[in-house]
Amino acid sequence: MGMSAQDKMITVANRLGLTSLKDMQGTTRMVYDSIPTIQGVHTFFKGASQRAFPLSNIGANGNQFQVDEALLVEKIGFFFPTAADGISYNGCGATGLSVKFDLVIGNKTVIKDATVELGGEQAFYNDGAVASSVIDLEGVGILIPPQVEYYVVAKPFANATRSADTARLGCYLFGTGALLNFNTTI
Amino acid sequence: MANQVNKLAYVDSKLGASLPGQQTTRVIYDSVNAVAGQGFYEFFTNFAGKTEFQTNLTTNKLDSAESMVIKSIQLIGNFNGSPTPANLANHLNLNVTVGNQVVIKDFDPSFNASNRGLAFDRLHSGFNSSQNLELRLLTDIVIPPQVNFKATLQLSDAVNVALNDDITIIFKGYGRIFSAGNSF
Repeated sequence: MGMSAQDKMITVANRLGLTSLKDMQGTTRMVYDSIPTIQGVHTFFKGASQRAFPLSNIGANGNQFQVDEALLVEKIGFFFPTAADGISYNGCGATGLSVKFDLVIGNKTVIKDATVELGGEQAFYNDGAVASSVIDLEGVGILIPPQVEYYVVAKPFANATRSADTARLGCYLFGTGALLNFNTTI
Repeated sequence: MANQVNKLAYVDSKLGASLPGQQTTRVIYDSVNAVAGQGFYEFFTNFAGKTEFQTNLTTNKLDSAESMVIKSIQLIGNFNGSPTPANLANHLNLNVTVGNQVVIKDFDPSFNASNRGLAFDRLHSGFNSSQNLELRLLTDIVIPPQVNFKATLQLSDAVNVALNDDITIIFKGYGRIFSAGNSF
């Protein structure tokens, strides 16, 4: 039987010496960041504490989770803000663009030169009649441990002609998470 | 791996509330009537004057022999602003608190609204709209007996919220309700 998301979180956390993570509150978690400037290369989450809701939801802590909080990334999605205020957005289908990206955690690139292709994952991703803008990570997922910086570098490009392009862009990381729970009175 | 049934029994037992009860699928909901421009909503904290269809609770906690798992969260909007009604497909910020513990933190469920290819769920219904979305959680979160809980929601396009718009939140999951077992 394969490893569950919770098992992977606990295993990796234990190996990193984060033995208290198993006692924290389990949750479903997502973090997102968007950059409303039209450009060809975007770096998400780094410096996102400067971007308030609705541009980002990562808050003052910036691009690292606080003590005993973590996220096991199971899905990565890219979206395209429709205006500079970042309130509304569309998927790849509205722009005809795909996105090439790297995910970096700490000093380590954990996803390298991957793409979220417009209409990818058609074999198993059903979102009504619309093409997917999401990639499901194979295996169980990748853990972002507490207090380690993470970021995503992404480049939009034309899905069919494979040429570089510019756009407003956003990125979300979704998966199983842990929230701080003191487990004792303080 | 714990399923909803085991998780509920485990948490109830840890809290000393492991009474036998009738297993059930529990749905609880609360609806908030908005004022124009309202961007922040608090659910399960005010029940005064609401009908049975606006909320099915009278207090912000489950009864002494009742508990449930939050497995799905649904949001329903009734937006009639003009010329542009508000919607749930723009960025949202959802927090759920059980007791003093935040169990869902700064979550944006709007990616599951409408059909844009951005849903978290691998098999995502085409019925989800910009005014009605549902989120299936990856983990089982327990509301124990007699512990208060609430949810808060922030809308990014509050400017389009009109007077008497409504937002409803629904928690659904496995639960336990009181069963006397023996006669009184």
